[in-house]
Amino acid sequence: MSFTSQNGGRGGRGSDFGNLPDEFRRIIETIQDNLHFILFGIGALLLLITIFSSFYTVQPSEEAVIIRFGKYQETNPPGLHFKLPFGIDDAIKVKTKLVFQEEFGFRSSDHSGDETSYEKGNFDKESQMLTGDLNVADVEWIVQYQISDPRKFLFAAQDPKQNIRDVSEAIMRRVVGDRTVNEILTTGRVAIATEAHRLTQEVLDKYDLGIRVVTIKLQDVNPPELVKPSFNEVNAAKQEQEQAINMAESAYNKVIPEARGKAEETLSEAEGYATAIVNRSKGDAERFHLTLQEYRREPDVTRKRLYLETMEELFGRFKKLTIVDDKIKGVLPLFGNKLLESKPQEVTEK
Amino acid sequence: MKQLNPAHVIAGAIFFILTVAAVLSAAYIVPEGRQAIITQFGRPVGDPVTSAGLYAKLPFIQDVQLVDKRIKTWDGYPNQIPTRDKKYIIVDTTARWRIHDALKFIQTVQNERGAKARLDAILDAVVRDTISNHNLVEAVRNTNAILDYIQERAVEAQKKVASGSILVAEEEEITGEIEKIQTGREALSGLIAKKAAEELQAFGITVIDVQLRRIAYESSVEKKVYDRMISERKRIAEKIRSIGKGEQAKIQGKTSRDLQRIDSEAYRKAQLTKGKAEAESISIYAKSLSQDRKFFEFTRTLDAYKKSMKDDTQFILSTDSSFLNLFNKGT
Repeated sequence: MSFTSQNGGRGGRGSDFGNLPDEFRRIIETIQDNLHFILFGIGALLLLITIFSSFYTVQPSEEAVIIRFGKYQETNPPGLHFKLPFGIDDAIKVKTKLVFQEEFGFRSSDHSGDETSYEKGNFDKESQMLTGDLNVADVEWIVQYQISDPRKFLFAAQDPKQNIRDVSEAIMRRVVGDRTVNEILTTGRVAIATEAHRLTQEVLDKYDLGIRVVTIKLQDVNPPELVKPSFNEVNAAKQEQEQAINMAESAYNKVIPEARGKAEETLSEAEGYATAIVNRSKGDAERFHLTLQEYRREPDVTRKRLYLETMEELFGRFKKLTIVDDKIKGVLPLFGNKLLESKPQEVTEK
Repeated sequence: MKQLNPAHVIAGAIFFILTVAAVLSAAYIVPEGRQAIITQFGRPVGDPVTSAGLYAKLPFIQDVQLVDKRIKTWDGYPNQIPTRDKKYIIVDTTARWRIHDALKFIQTVQNERGAKARLDAILDAVVRDTISNHNLVEAVRNTNAILDYIQERAVEAQKKVASGSILVAEEEEITGEIEKIQTGREALSGLIAKKAAEELQAFGITVIDVQLRRIAYESSVEKKVYDRMISERKRIAEKIRSIGKGEQAKIQGKTSRDLQRIDSEAYRKAQLTKGKAEAESISIYAKSLSQDRKFFEFTRTLDAYKKSMKDDTQFILSTDSSFLNLFNKGT
């Protein structure tokens, strides 16, 4: 058998299966010949194992928990450390600086390597929750946490990650359950995350799992898929409402300033008319007063003169003036008979 | 080399093997997070070993049974439960528990599988009892804070409306009354945990807490809830729209009102101004002309002639007229 040669450290000879006792004797002889070599080899191997199993490196993001015969000894920071070999001491490295993330209602695809043991695709069950006004909201969120105490993290609970998930779901529902669907969808996001963070930490502290919640952040918060269109309709209605009001207001702004301007125009016109009429009457009155004073000195002459001057002006500019004498019969004026009957006095005709 | 008696060699070998086996059988390790019970021919001996480390027992005749002492998770099967107000919901609970009395635990349920069966039976029953003894809201809400919130919003909205600052649509629409709760979600899970803990005490199990992880409407109810949410949203949308139309009409009315007011006020003021002026004019004329009525009549008539008779007038003048007096008679 070929492994013999390896043990002896020499090249093996061709094996002869037909002569077993001889073969055995030869093996024993070989072992006896090389006994010190074999012992040396075993010793070296033991030494190597001892050396390798008695020191370990802790990476910068880790801390190491040392267990001796199953019992916790100490927690060591990053660096090179020694321990008792041969499984007497065991070093468990825990990534205490790393921030872990749990996702609820969705799974980011680049974490496909993570051991999330949930059915793929539909996480509605995780994210759908009842609100305080008994509506349904679809809330997605993340929890980021760090291992603050590796000893507790390792030994306090059988499945700390599952505990974090369970608690976070229960707390998120409790927080959402105390709010109206409107608050959850609009103004409540930050308050919900803050309260969930506080309460989750509180419960995890009660379990004493050695976990510190770094942050809880709400992701997409939506009404359920089926209800979404009607929520959008409300938003559309708000727009329509604003539009209707804006339209009416713009119509108002178009009409009223113009009307104000026109009103001022009317007023100014009236004022103009008033000034004019008063001035005219004052003028007339002054004129009358002045003429009257002169007239009173010589009334008869002035009357005559004014009369004659007027007639002169009038008759002077008329287009046609016909003079009729009653005593002359049979003369037909150009105008026809009916004019002949007219009284011999000043008559205006057109 | 001295020749060895083969019998001695064999005896020595057996002794050595027995010694090693005894040592290995006498030593045992209790890891962190575990506890150990020592049994002798199946009968427990002494107190359970609860802290981790290397321990010794009698070899061969004593056995070690390790029992977990960490916090364990129980994940309930989502149950369909009617609440006291006859609403069908699916309740998914989880619990955290630990083995506090390893001996009792071993004796009564033997192992974790046995424990799970008891936990399933007891917790399911307790959850069912508790949920169906309470209204739905007790399991959904934790406090009555939502009532304060709604009231606050209502007051705020009223203030805004009263002060006339924009606000037309910004109102919270809540369907129906928000019931007051007596117990609340946290107390309810506390109640469940307490009852379950009492019953599980006998199995050496402590229940740390029970969490109502998920509460959801049963699928047929869910549809109705969605329908209600949709109709509620539609109603809000309609209300918002109609408030918009109302506002629009209000503004249109205001437009027409302001327009007519402005127009008529202008008319009235104009007429007033004109009237005052005319009155003044009349008084001026009256005062002035009343000095000599005859002269006024005379001059005004002459003026009227001048103004009223146009250049293209055709005029027939009788020789009898006073104007032609001289013309007729001579001097």
